Amino acid sequence: MIHRLEAIVLFYKPYFLWSMAVTILIIIFSPYILTCITTKLLLTIFIWYYTNETSSKRKLVFYKNLGISTRELFLAVFLIDTLISITVLLIIKAFI
Amino acid sequence: MIIELDNVELYFNDKRVLNGVYLKLETGKVVGLLGRNGSGKSCLLQILFGALQPKYKLIRIDGQAIQKPLYYLKIISYLPQLHFTPNHLKIKTLFYLLQLDWEDFTNHFENFSTYYHMKLNNLSGGERRVIETYAVLKQKGKIVLLDEPFSNIAPLYIEKIKSLITSEKSQKAILITDHYYKDVIDICDTLYLLNNGCTKQIKHSKELETYNYLNVDTI
Repeated sequence: MIHRLEAIVLFYKPYFLWSMAVTILIIIFSPYILTCITTKLLLTIFIWYYTNETSSKRKLVFYKNLGISTRELFLAVFLIDTLISITVLLIIKAFI
Repeated sequence: MIIELDNVELYFNDKRVLNGVYLKLETGKVVGLLGRNGSGKSCLLQILFGALQPKYKLIRIDGQAIQKPLYYLKIISYLPQLHFTPNHLKIKTLFYLLQLDWEDFTNHFENFSTYYHMKLNNLSGGERRVIETYAVLKQKGKIVLLDEPFSNIAPLYIEKIKSLITSEKSQKAILITDHYYKDVIDICDTLYLLNNGCTKQIKHSKELETYNYLNVDTI
């Protein structure tokens, strides 16, 4: 189980900085949890679409070999990303 | 364990790729699958793995129909035709995630012993292929699918991979497809030819000429 979770984090890693940049924009323009969740959902859908339409699609076999379906992978990425973003949002809001 | 793939029908738009496929894998046996370019070999492996959904298919394990993708049940591992490991992954991370034994690997492939801390995209295509093939062969799943494991690798490594396949087959059912037909014939216990979307079991290598897979008098 831990290996599968680590593999999902590995998949999420290249998107982390981009996602943080989006989070900062959310904090500046609309610092609400609902905005954050909606944006992250759209971002995850975009990553899913990008992965499916490019050669990155074949890399999904690596995760399938670990028993992680594409749906599970993107759902987990969405949850991790949203959790991190909401935490950052709440921390920054507490100081403003 | 006996795995049967039956009644496969696969279409891409209106083009029929597979029709009337039957394959039987068995623990302790290596099954070879040959076929021309574009005959649907890779699609067939993807269907069995669960990564490709055809119009119809029936997968039975020990006589029982299985609905879920096999990868989801964690009983299968699959080496696709092209690199499938993340590019920036370190070899040591790969071995950790897939729970592989580095010492065992370097016992088979001594030349790789200094590569432990390297990233996969810093290796040559062939070296990366060797690592990926080893990783798939050593997974805990009882079914192994290998799509062109011998392509682009040195003859010395081909022999080592063949001996690895032979040693792993006692606990696993292995399906292998490659254009290096001599190597496939060499290690397989059962041979199928995929021709016109259908599988035909090949009892004698000469049949490969009859079905125009090989030129006459090649064997």
